[in-house]
Amino acid sequence: MKIIIRTLSGKWRKKINTDKSPNPEYTLQLLQLLSDNSYDIVFQKKLTSEGIVTIIFSSSLIEKMTLQAVVLAPLSHSLHQIHQIAERMQYNQISEIENKINAGYTILYFHETKQYLALDTYSAPIRAITNTEIESTVIGPQDAFTESLETNISLIRRRIHNHYLKNESIYIGNNKQYQVSIMYVDNIVNKKLLKKLKKRLQHINPPPLLDTAVLKQLIEDNPFSPFPQYYMSVRPDTIAHYLLDGRMALLINNSQTVIICPTSFFEMFTSIEDYYNRWTTATLLRSLRFFGFFITIMITPMYISTLTFHPEILPYELLLNLQESRSKVPFPPLIEVLFIELIIEVLREAGSRMPAKVGQTIGIVGGIVIGTAAVEAGLISNILIVLVATSALLSFLPPIFLMSNTSRLVRYFFIIAAGLFGLFGQMLAFAWLITHLLRIRSLGEPYMVPLIPRKWTDLLNSVVRFPMAYLKNRMGISKSQKS
Amino acid sequence: MNIRLLLIFLLLFVAGCSEQGKKIPIEEIDMIGIMAFDYVDEKIKKLTVAIPQYSKEAEKDTMVYSVETDLVSQGIVKIEAQSDRKVVLNQLRVILVSEEFARKGHVRSIVEHIYRNAEVGNKALIAVVKGRADSILYAEYPDKPNINFYLNDLLRPSFNTAFNPNTNVHDFIYATTNLTKDASVPYLELLDDKVEITNIALFKEDVMVETISPNESVYIQALLGKKSIAPLVIEMPKDTKISLNLVKSKFKIESNKDKHQPKLTIHIQMKATLSEYNIEHLDKLNTWKEISHLEKSINRQVEKDIKAFIERLNKQQIDPIGLSEYFRKYTYGKWTRAMTDKVLSKLELDVNVKTIIVNVGTLK
Amino acid sequence: MRLTQKKVLTKVHVLFLVQSCLIGTGILQIPQKLSAMGYSQAFMPLFFALIATINLWPMLWLNSKFPNNNLFQINEILLGKTIGKFINFLLIILFTIVCIDAISSYMLLIQSTALPEQTITFPIICFLALLIYLVRGGIFTIARFSIMAFFITLPMVLLTKWAIQKGEFSHFFPLFNFTLQEFYEASKNGYLSFLGYELILFYYPYIIQQKSAFKYATIGIWISGVLMLITTGVSVMYFSEWQLSNIEYAVLNIFKAGEYSFIERIDIIGMTLWIFLVYSTVALYLWAANEGFKTLILPKSQIHLYILVISIFIMLILPISKYLKMKIFTINNYIFYLLLLWPIFLILIYLFRKKQVHQ
Repeated sequence: MKIIIRTLSGKWRKKINTDKSPNPEYTLQLLQLLSDNSYDIVFQKKLTSEGIVTIIFSSSLIEKMTLQAVVLAPLSHSLHQIHQIAERMQYNQISEIENKINAGYTILYFHETKQYLALDTYSAPIRAITNTEIESTVIGPQDAFTESLETNISLIRRRIHNHYLKNESIYIGNNKQYQVSIMYVDNIVNKKLLKKLKKRLQHINPPPLLDTAVLKQLIEDNPFSPFPQYYMSVRPDTIAHYLLDGRMALLINNSQTVIICPTSFFEMFTSIEDYYNRWTTATLLRSLRFFGFFITIMITPMYISTLTFHPEILPYELLLNLQESRSKVPFPPLIEVLFIELIIEVLREAGSRMPAKVGQTIGIVGGIVIGTAAVEAGLISNILIVLVATSALLSFLPPIFLMSNTSRLVRYFFIIAAGLFGLFGQMLAFAWLITHLLRIRSLGEPYMVPLIPRKWTDLLNSVVRFPMAYLKNRMGISKSQKS
Repeated sequence: MNIRLLLIFLLLFVAGCSEQGKKIPIEEIDMIGIMAFDYVDEKIKKLTVAIPQYSKEAEKDTMVYSVETDLVSQGIVKIEAQSDRKVVLNQLRVILVSEEFARKGHVRSIVEHIYRNAEVGNKALIAVVKGRADSILYAEYPDKPNINFYLNDLLRPSFNTAFNPNTNVHDFIYATTNLTKDASVPYLELLDDKVEITNIALFKEDVMVETISPNESVYIQALLGKKSIAPLVIEMPKDTKISLNLVKSKFKIESNKDKHQPKLTIHIQMKATLSEYNIEHLDKLNTWKEISHLEKSINRQVEKDIKAFIERLNKQQIDPIGLSEYFRKYTYGKWTRAMTDKVLSKLELDVNVKTIIVNVGTLK
Repeated sequence: MRLTQKKVLTKVHVLFLVQSCLIGTGILQIPQKLSAMGYSQAFMPLFFALIATINLWPMLWLNSKFPNNNLFQINEILLGKTIGKFINFLLIILFTIVCIDAISSYMLLIQSTALPEQTITFPIICFLALLIYLVRGGIFTIARFSIMAFFITLPMVLLTKWAIQKGEFSHFFPLFNFTLQEFYEASKNGYLSFLGYELILFYYPYIIQQKSAFKYATIGIWISGVLMLITTGVSVMYFSEWQLSNIEYAVLNIFKAGEYSFIERIDIIGMTLWIFLVYSTVALYLWAANEGFKTLILPKSQIHLYILVISIFIMLILPISKYLKMKIFTINNYIFYLLLLWPIFLILIYLFRKKQVHQ
């Protein structure tokens, strides 16, 4: 019997299922054995008007007050209430009973009548809805998703009062052990895409699915690409916006972020705040983010290529300055740039890993001590510091953090390409980038929209965001149903 | 997918093997800013170059090298032997040639060599120097930062040097190879511790033949389409002098389309503010009547000036303005230089100037 | 071969495929190629566009009779297996040489402007690696790349601003000042820069709205025609006749005229950015050669592309004298003129063998 308890997964579980428990009493014993080493599974015997009742529950998932109100109080004086609301369980479905316990139900076993009843008492402590720290905006609603699936769904449903808003739940994995919730608006969403998404979900076998970020990587079209192919957000208003545009949202329990698919490259640079701002401001910010991406991957490579290959590009005066500041530097420009870029990267990583109070100092240490000292020591030229700092700042512009990581990674390709062939190398890398982006697909839909629009109306909501009155049409990438 | 990984590895592998070390970073190169050519004999020329020195330890801010050579590129190689770094032409800004060199007709060949070199931009400006060209590079300019910047700024277009044709490499090649146009180039003189554009040198095909004064050159520039030709100083008879500011000029040239009896009518309109005047019997310009009188006398004078000056050039069959173009564009068949010369020698001119003084200042 | 090919190209794709395949390395040299006509070359691109539009018509008529086959398959159907395969083999060689021509002339330009004093073997390897990546994406990716290439490189038109300011408008006159001999000479050399639209014979089966293909292909041709008109027009204004016939890459020198206070040499940026235009042209030719190669042997394998690219690479780095190369390219180009007339020949055969074919 102890073997069953230690290896709860796989074959043994099936064995119990097929092994019909001969009688209800035996089931109780089995349950006791199964929860042998977990002290939060509580077995209590109570004397009621219908004889002895064993109540089984997981104390970590249930609050005392709930237990009191739903189970203990009715047990003592109004048993009929329990019979009315409780779910009847078969004594031989042991694994089902066990799942109920793990899901926060309370199981009641009436010794007299040999009945198993289940009561939903799930009331695990959850985090309250708080402000978003990842995608904060100045204007607009401030609530963010929490780690509770039900809260998240409720946050979305509050925004879409529509009976077409569907919330399908499917179980994935080899043993169907993970629940994924697909949300979509039924009369808008493209049914083919929905089918494709479901098919893709059913064919994956995830390692421990701790967050949607893991799920996202498993259902991406091109897993080798450095680019994120689905939008991820913790903001319910963003998700509602995309749902109403005809996209699908994927949620799992215990994960704060929600996946939106399909998504285009350009949407990685849009923030829901663009719709709250006036269109002029929104356009300015969008173009900053979008062109900032291309500037950040070009700016330091440009330094290398002008210094090693094309000094004729720069004005004379600037060139002499550069010559002077470079004259003490012992490395070739390529190494110089790689060196300082890696330092910035280390600073960023160190800053994000450190406890918040220490983290503040790292900026000062990194910025002033390393930067100034390195210039004075003659390790790097001061002009490069300016360029690297600018490109580092620009790389943090995209509202999707994964995209900002990507922009930093892609920059290294460009740096190496510039080190090899100067501007020609940069353009070669740029052509690679474009080709790569053109070849990526997001849920089978071309990623490079609306730079190459699927519909002409997409252009109204691209880098230039037109006034709200013009944004009547849904985006082409959602291929939404005609309504 | 494997192929892709293989390709990446291949690229990295080849990248490792490539001749990376050969590329020379910026601090290891000497960028020639000025080249000066002097005449030695028919084949050999003296090449002098100025290279800015960025090192703070060096006493002088410019390095000057001088070699005698027959080919330009060979001269550069010889200079490299003297310099401690690699010498490149990427940032060439100024090409100076001595008057003798220009008059013997050698400018075209060296400019063509530089024009062929894709590394050199179009920014290299050409100037003719009175006397020896290298003397400008060897001279000391105590109050100027660096000869390279000094000469470049001097020759570049600026507000008060409308007469300067700013001839760069492309312009020079364009004008000398154009059948209906001749090149004009600023003419420099070294005066003690500064350089001055004293005249404008005119070329006929490859050979420098004539110099004209800045005042005359202004009209060339106006007729070439320069909009602003300020400041304009007009000398009138009886010791009268007028200086106009902010001159906006417009011109129109009408041709009679007959290359056998060529005749051109030139209309020039100038809008200007009067900045200074020196007229006898007249302390102040009080009324608009007086001003309009002045406008008329300016018109007459400028008409006379332009006509005399262009006719002088026509006698020598030099065409810096491209007047013969106004006949070429109506002629079918091939145009030749001989036709240009013929047109110029026969050309009849009619000049119409209209001056409008829009402002005389705030003093009554 | 697949009979039910996936139709992926929309009309916009067709427009830009035609448009960007016309603009490759040819446009860089077009003023020099047309220099036999002196200043009168300015309006030649419009004439070329007209010829191309007329020439496009028989091509599309032939294609409309075989909506699901490309020219390689049409050759085999109309001329029989053996002759058809032989012709296809020639076409593949023809296209491969076009690729070599374009790549080598672009690489020479890059070597003289952006990478002086460097061997170009390694840049060529990188160029070809990316070319494989692009062509493997199929016609759909190439079409989308063409759109991107057009919009990325279009701002370069603005870089002609300085040359226009300096240029002399009077060079355009007198209009039509040329002899027939000069006209023949210029069109013979210049029309080669206007090739590329004939590839519609090969991607026609992928077009969704085949009926409107002619309209959009024509728009593509005329956009390119206008861009070339700008090139020749600006060249005529900016250069003297001597310069027109002696400057190999007129566009390079036009870009050299420009300057900003912070970037003094726009030409290098322009020439390196030109890589997009070269890619959109070369990729399409290589794709066509690859499709044809597949009809010859091993239709399911992926190896054809690699064989083609490796042979291009070998041809590029082989120490052949430039003279011999030029000779090969010239002969190749004259054969290309035959290809333009080929559809008319096929149409004649089609009309003779109509019944047989439909059985």
